[in-house]
Amino acid sequence: MRFMRTLLVLTLVIMLAGVTGVAQGQAVRNPDTLVIATIGDPETLDYSYAYDTASSQVFLWHIYETLIFFNGGSTGTFVPMLATEVPSLANGGISKDGRTYTFKLRDGVKFHDGTPLTAEDVKYSLLRFMFMDRDGGPSELLLTPIVESHGTRDDKGTLRLELFREADNAIKVSGNTISITLKRPFAPFLSIMATWSMAVSKKWAIAQRDWNGTAGDLSRLNNPKKPDDTPLFTKTNGTGPFKLVQWDRSGRQVIMERNDTYWRKPAALKRVIIRVVEDFGARRLMLQQGDADIVSVGRPQKPQVEGLPGVRIIDDLSRLVTHGVFMNMKVDTGAGNPDVGSGRLDGAGIPGDFFADVNVRRGIAQAFDYNTALRDCWGNKATVGNGPIPKGMFGYISTGKWYAYDPAKAAAAFREARGGQVWSTGFRFSILYNTGNTIRECMAGVLKAGVEALNPKFRVDVRSITFPTLLQQYRQGRLPIFIIGWAADFPDADNFVTPFMHSTGVYSNAQGYKSPEVDKLIEEARFETDPGKRRATFAKLQEFAYNDVTTIYYYAVGLQVMRSWVRGWYHNPAFFAEYLYPMFKQ
Amino acid sequence: MATYIARRLMLLPLVAFGVTILIFALLQFLHPAIRAGAFITNPNQLKAIDAIIKKYGLDQPVYVQYWTWLREVFHGNLGWSQSVRLPVLDAIIAFFPTTLELTLYAFVPIMIVGVWLGTAAAVHRDKVVDHLSRVFSISFRSLPSFVWGLLILMVFYGRFNWFPPGRLSLEADLFVRSAQFTKYTGLMTADALLNGQLWIFFDALRHLAGPALTLTMVSVALLVRVTRSSMLEALSQDYVRTARAKGLAPAVVNTRHARKNALIPVITLSSLTIVGLLNGVVIIETIFNYPGIGRWGAFAAQQLDIPGVTGFTMFIAALTVLGNLAADIMYAYFDPRIRLQ
Repeated sequence: MRFMRTLLVLTLVIMLAGVTGVAQGQAVRNPDTLVIATIGDPETLDYSYAYDTASSQVFLWHIYETLIFFNGGSTGTFVPMLATEVPSLANGGISKDGRTYTFKLRDGVKFHDGTPLTAEDVKYSLLRFMFMDRDGGPSELLLTPIVESHGTRDDKGTLRLELFREADNAIKVSGNTISITLKRPFAPFLSIMATWSMAVSKKWAIAQRDWNGTAGDLSRLNNPKKPDDTPLFTKTNGTGPFKLVQWDRSGRQVIMERNDTYWRKPAALKRVIIRVVEDFGARRLMLQQGDADIVSVGRPQKPQVEGLPGVRIIDDLSRLVTHGVFMNMKVDTGAGNPDVGSGRLDGAGIPGDFFADVNVRRGIAQAFDYNTALRDCWGNKATVGNGPIPKGMFGYISTGKWYAYDPAKAAAAFREARGGQVWSTGFRFSILYNTGNTIRECMAGVLKAGVEALNPKFRVDVRSITFPTLLQQYRQGRLPIFIIGWAADFPDADNFVTPFMHSTGVYSNAQGYKSPEVDKLIEEARFETDPGKRRATFAKLQEFAYNDVTTIYYYAVGLQVMRSWVRGWYHNPAFFAEYLYPMFKQ
Repeated sequence: MATYIARRLMLLPLVAFGVTILIFALLQFLHPAIRAGAFITNPNQLKAIDAIIKKYGLDQPVYVQYWTWLREVFHGNLGWSQSVRLPVLDAIIAFFPTTLELTLYAFVPIMIVGVWLGTAAAVHRDKVVDHLSRVFSISFRSLPSFVWGLLILMVFYGRFNWFPPGRLSLEADLFVRSAQFTKYTGLMTADALLNGQLWIFFDALRHLAGPALTLTMVSVALLVRVTRSSMLEALSQDYVRTARAKGLAPAVVNTRHARKNALIPVITLSSLTIVGLLNGVVIIETIFNYPGIGRWGAFAAQQLDIPGVTGFTMFIAALTVLGNLAADIMYAYFDPRIRLQ
């Protein structure tokens, strides 16, 4: 009895005491260890298999290093990393025909196991990256410039050995120099090298029973079925400032420690722990208590970390991500597609080619209340684009035109669509986004309101589906309008215009957008090394983006939340996560 | 007895077969491209959906997929859990001891508090303690466990920093991974004692307290109610009245005569409580970031990691069968009137 009363009183006291208090004036917790609480597990630590942010977060530039690196916060200028110089036409590192890039390697660089880095290691690493080529992997990023192929297998799935011979000849080693000869000049090549030229020790990899470097052993390397089928799944041996201690998959954390024989001054941090903490409540409390130094915080969660003592919030970070509201010009209206209504233009649905009429697309683009969407959905932390290339990147045309919210013009465009039939009969379709993404839900709601306000016969539904279902519906071309984003593989405009506008692009292809002129322009820009001419080509592409308006583009800014005792952090939009080397706690 | 146990154990494969058939039947409703989602980690991979479906045979008829899976199981391979990047068997071995430990630490307070409160409520029937026990147990039960979990985390971690999430604090975690520490059982508190590291023991205890308290709060109600009604029944028996008439002290009558008999259904319930706890940890482990089998199961389901979900379900089903068997055996043991056939 007495116990119960005490318990009751105690509970009430605790509840009344409030729950947001924080110990003031905390000393730096774990001063030489950085703890990052994040949301996703790495898929693998094999640099040739990984194509996800969570994996890159672990090894890129911390464990494995690249030949060249981004210069401070810039995405378009580079500094040497494993190489001694950034190749250019001026220093002879790039041949006159723009096809051959030569990198001289730095002396005295050692892998974590103590063996010195050689040009042979770099060649092995690049070939390994290209020829692992798992389905859905990143190998294409190097295959495209070096051998001009999207994959290493033919339609029947047979390995194309001639490609290997080509690549083997294209990458030449001479002493401590490595030269790479491209099929054609490829403008974004240095950007790609800054991210994807990671070097692993050849001797060590072979000792782990990995690919032995020969053509005969390629079948063992190529297209592994599962991430653990590659010997480097949980093992690493790079040259970077941190060494892997353990990837504890069941404990869902990665532990790294300082590499004391690093070729530069060893890092200030002794240890880095990247831990998956799925629940935001727990992440927030860990930040508050100082048990985590950096935590993932989504845009809608930002108010919950504001005002926490000892916590630093850095907002408005530019990111290489373009979001789009995509209109599908050839919707599969086949049996049971709930998102196209009747599947006909009868006021209760749309036909498959509804968005093929440019007037419909222009109507949509002008019925979207941009300012309201940015304010209400994004808290003004996003901007509208005028094409796929994000602001701040080379190729962004600041003078390019885009639509404004204008109901009168939108109505006029819809009146013209299909000889007035769209206006007189009306329509019904859905906008889809992935469940849980409240920002996209809000964007879809704004578009719905804008379109429905034009004409009482216009009906738009907003529907959420899980990400896997989105994949399915996307693949089958069943989504009339969908909202999704694209994160750059490397910071070059080519990596944006291709997925959004090229007929083979991930999104444009799914939207049924095919313009031979656009394809030609994109390829011109890709192989053009003169910046002036390149910019002119991107300007033409921007006009196509405006006139054809297949997509409404917008870019959001990023958010970084950390304890204020974390120092040395800096941002580069090309980073997938924090660059750990210069960081320390004080 | 032995034949009874053997016969019940023979049920195990049948149950496993049943649940796996059920899971694979549910697969029918998922489009191959949906399941390909388990292998796609960023939208830049959208182009590869078809190749992924082909590679993993996701478009094959479900019976073919079941047969492929079954053949592998007979070779001792339970499949690959894509959600945690571990073979299913390794995942079970890695996660189960953690959950078992949490379950045990919740089980003991549940039994003690449950029996104590249930007895007190029955003895003081319709008095304040009876009403209070009812109010508490029902209010603990009526809010979802994640609400209690978050509340406990906010108060005992956010405010007081007593019970942090996770399994160990940073220093303890690094020590446990070092060569100075041997893992004997996978139960952190037991291993800490076996290694003679008291500070690890207390550190693990601090981390166990939050989830164990939450589990206790949401699970104790049933035990209180069962103990109470069973106790009430016992108290109304003739032998209790006789004992009282003999002039025995009320406390002796209540504990020695009445409670002993009243505990028979409670003991049966206890083994089922353990099974129930093992299921109940799914949400609690996620909230407290406690790396147990429940968090894995929930995560695997979200990620459509079919081999992971299948393995998890089979394992829980096997535990349920074993838990029921243990209940039956204990029932017969404690109540000689019952014989197993």
